[in-house]
Amino acid sequence: MKRTRLLAILVLALGLAMTAAACGGGEEEGGGGGTGAAAPSGESGFGTATGPANKGGTYRVDVESAFDFTDAFDPTGEYTALGWSFYTLMLRPLMTYKHVAGADGNVPIPDLAAEEPEISDGGKTYTFTLRDGVKYAPPVDREVTSKDVAYAFDRLADPTYGGAGYPLYYQAITGFTDVADGKAKTVAGIETPDDKTIVFHLDKPAGDFLYRLAMPATAPIPEEVAKCAKKAGDYGRYPIANGPYMVEGTDKLDISSCNTIKPVSGYNPEAFLHLVRNPNYDEATENPDARENNPDRFEFNINSNVDDCFNKVKEAIIDDTLCGETPKQTKEYTENEDLKPLLKLYPDDSTFYLSMNLTQPPFDDVHVRRAANFVQDKVGLIRAWGGPVVGDVATHILPPSLVPDSLEGYDPYPSPDHTGDVEAAKKEMAQSKYDTDQDGICDAPECKNVLHIIGDSGRERGMVPVIEDSLGKIGITLNTRLLGDQYSVILDPTKKVPFGGGPGWGKDYPDAFTFFFYLFDGRVIPKEKGGVTYNEPLVGIDDATAKSLGIDLPAGGVPSVNSDIDNCVGTADDTQRLECWGELDKKLMEDVVPWVPYIWRNNSTIIAPSVSRWEFDQSTGNQAWTRVAVDQSKQQK
Amino acid sequence: MLAYTIRRLIWAVVVVLIVTMVTFAIFYLMPPGDPAIRFAGRAPNPRVLDQIRENFGLDKPFYQQYWIFLKNLVTGDEYGWPGLGFSYDTRVPVRNELLDRLPRTLILIAGAAVLWLIVGVTIGIISAVRRGTLVDKAAMGFALFGVSAPVFWLGLVALFVFWQKLGILPGTGYTAFSDDPKEWFLHLILPCTVLAMLYAAFYARMTRGNLLETLGEDYIRTARAKGLPERKVIMKHGLRASLTPVVTMFGMDIALLIGGAVITETVFNWQGIGSWVIRATTNSNLPVVVGVVLMAAIAVVIMNLLVDILYAYLDPRVRYQ
Repeated sequence: MKRTRLLAILVLALGLAMTAAACGGGEEEGGGGGTGAAAPSGESGFGTATGPANKGGTYRVDVESAFDFTDAFDPTGEYTALGWSFYTLMLRPLMTYKHVAGADGNVPIPDLAAEEPEISDGGKTYTFTLRDGVKYAPPVDREVTSKDVAYAFDRLADPTYGGAGYPLYYQAITGFTDVADGKAKTVAGIETPDDKTIVFHLDKPAGDFLYRLAMPATAPIPEEVAKCAKKAGDYGRYPIANGPYMVEGTDKLDISSCNTIKPVSGYNPEAFLHLVRNPNYDEATENPDARENNPDRFEFNINSNVDDCFNKVKEAIIDDTLCGETPKQTKEYTENEDLKPLLKLYPDDSTFYLSMNLTQPPFDDVHVRRAANFVQDKVGLIRAWGGPVVGDVATHILPPSLVPDSLEGYDPYPSPDHTGDVEAAKKEMAQSKYDTDQDGICDAPECKNVLHIIGDSGRERGMVPVIEDSLGKIGITLNTRLLGDQYSVILDPTKKVPFGGGPGWGKDYPDAFTFFFYLFDGRVIPKEKGGVTYNEPLVGIDDATAKSLGIDLPAGGVPSVNSDIDNCVGTADDTQRLECWGELDKKLMEDVVPWVPYIWRNNSTIIAPSVSRWEFDQSTGNQAWTRVAVDQSKQQK
Repeated sequence: MLAYTIRRLIWAVVVVLIVTMVTFAIFYLMPPGDPAIRFAGRAPNPRVLDQIRENFGLDKPFYQQYWIFLKNLVTGDEYGWPGLGFSYDTRVPVRNELLDRLPRTLILIAGAAVLWLIVGVTIGIISAVRRGTLVDKAAMGFALFGVSAPVFWLGLVALFVFWQKLGILPGTGYTAFSDDPKEWFLHLILPCTVLAMLYAAFYARMTRGNLLETLGEDYIRTARAKGLPERKVIMKHGLRASLTPVVTMFGMDIALLIGGAVITETVFNWQGIGSWVIRATTNSNLPVVVGVVLMAAIAVVIMNLLVDILYAYLDPRVRYQ
């Protein structure tokens, strides 16, 4: 009996020990601790594009869990950076980018357009000439015409096809909203005098219009196929490429009638996306600055096991990953000199921030908002993300690539090592109406139990104590609620959430308009209940809108930057527009103060030893698929 | 027996309907989030959100949505029969995706079930017959290990040892039988074994306990006194009676696993039902959740019915009016 009991205890202990070993190890996303490695700053990170551009082979990529497309891979509505990165291989809009890292990667260049457009009428008319010889993949086979481009815009304007995230960019085109309102079938402001010419007429100048024409939703679409897609997302099952690659199986499509069109075999939304060369692609029509087109085939396969992703890439069973590294992998690759070159880090032009609602106490007082910026321990937040490798401390709204050189080093709320300056925060707080005794500690009831909404990921859970501790030093206590779907709450202005800890924002194209318009323009705030807005601070909310939404405005109202945005976006000169956006960034940070920005995130990717050439695409914030290459002799099965 | 079966089937339909109604109500009346916001891009004004809700059929009242769901279930929808709508995430018909994934989950369950029955019951029998010996202790040690070791840990260790280090079995993923029967079988071994471990441990303990209890019964003593061979006493007389609870557990376990062996499927990248429905729940993908819940509910009621019928065979004292 004694021996039996002893054996049982030993086995139990062994089981518990194994369980503890399995459950430990910091596997959770963003689970504290950091790596201890100094973060590289600037554009190059640990890895830069190197190696020979070998032609041929299959580039194999595992994708974590799901593609998570927003419009089922229909380019008209697809609004994910991942989807856009795939489209760089398949679609050729009028403009594109060089698909390289850094500032050079954010400059638009002609793609389907033979050259830069002719701009006339005070910046309101853009005339493009299409390249010769750009053809659709089989079975469409024919040459792309200007009418195909116009059709893409008609589709974009029609809300039926899911172009929900885009239309605001193209409302500048005359007649665009008439299609959206059901008053017209086609966009009147787009002319196609012949198959090679397309003319855009704008209601008012938009200095960043060429960027907007590089978005994949504007790529030409063959109407004879797309007309069969009756609902949003349907066309994503058989998108027709006009670029160097197509979805495998596209050539087998039967487009003789709408009833015969079936989803292509090379795309299973729940499992894989396989791309092969478009046999109709003519390299002579390519802009040599845009693409290299090295592999013969791309395989993007879903993998639900993140550890398996990285085990396979280490063994070169796959070549690249779209799986989120855990601190374990980051630590391994930053500390092992042999593995370090295989970790690629680049800023992905996004800012993450703590959001303060300008209509809700205590954040309706600018002194409180400034104090929050002074006191916040930003390094602590980055540690919760996984350490300095994950990104750089953000000191203002726009990521560095979107601001002029004049903003380099700009930090309106400096603190020692970005860990927070309590004294400076108290000095600011003492000027607030909520600090009744002016001792630098917020003592009014409005500063207690302030509702704070944040997501429930491992990273965000790690951020909560850092945020609470920082704000606690100036007397603000938080009532933190962790929500899986935080956006349903914080984006709804009628919910009146004072403080949001989870949001982040990335560019749509490399112009600050894609930040400022959606995040700080009062006109994007819904005028009636039932809508949501990414302008969580409610900058620029007017009296009528506030009344309609049941929001009480503070005395003196809420500051607006609508006219600043209009002024900047209408500036045609790139340098002047950049300076304009830089000044607006300063105004927001110093006078309006809607955020506490804390990180400019890095995109981190681990690649296999079989990759002979790798590049980061600054325009999409992902791998530059158009430039990668493999060494087939190093690939494993 | 026939009347009993028909009555049970009728009740099964009622139960399934109630389950789907409750599921609908949970997601409609207490939504974890607004699915429309995910697809509204960066300009989520009321008109855009309304358009998306219309596309997804979310603009109608709850009872109308449920009625449309029931109607499509019976008559089919534009994607075929049964009509289960389409996934918000991928716009793929739920029916098609279910039919694609279900065989993978079923083969995983079937393989694991065969393993855990054979291993678990065998170990339980041996352990009961050799009670108190080293064999018994080793068997119960295995049972303790199987119950204690987390499935995800077992899976990762199995991959590490048999795939990465020894290279004798393939890694994650599913290969269709039609593509390569040999690879299909090889890919089955690790996930089935890992999934079976936990259940084999339970079944070993349960079989041992039940058999020990049965072997103490008077009729077993009588059987031995009549001179029957020990093997016959155990296998024919003892085991049959002690298997009743095992059958009950087996039915419930199979039914619940049809809802998806989530952890095993995730670790082995199995692309089955489990990992699919977990993601759908997180993303408020209502058609997928309702479709899988419906299928799981049907599985539970059918397995319950089969178990009850099997009872009548195993235990002559049980007869159904």
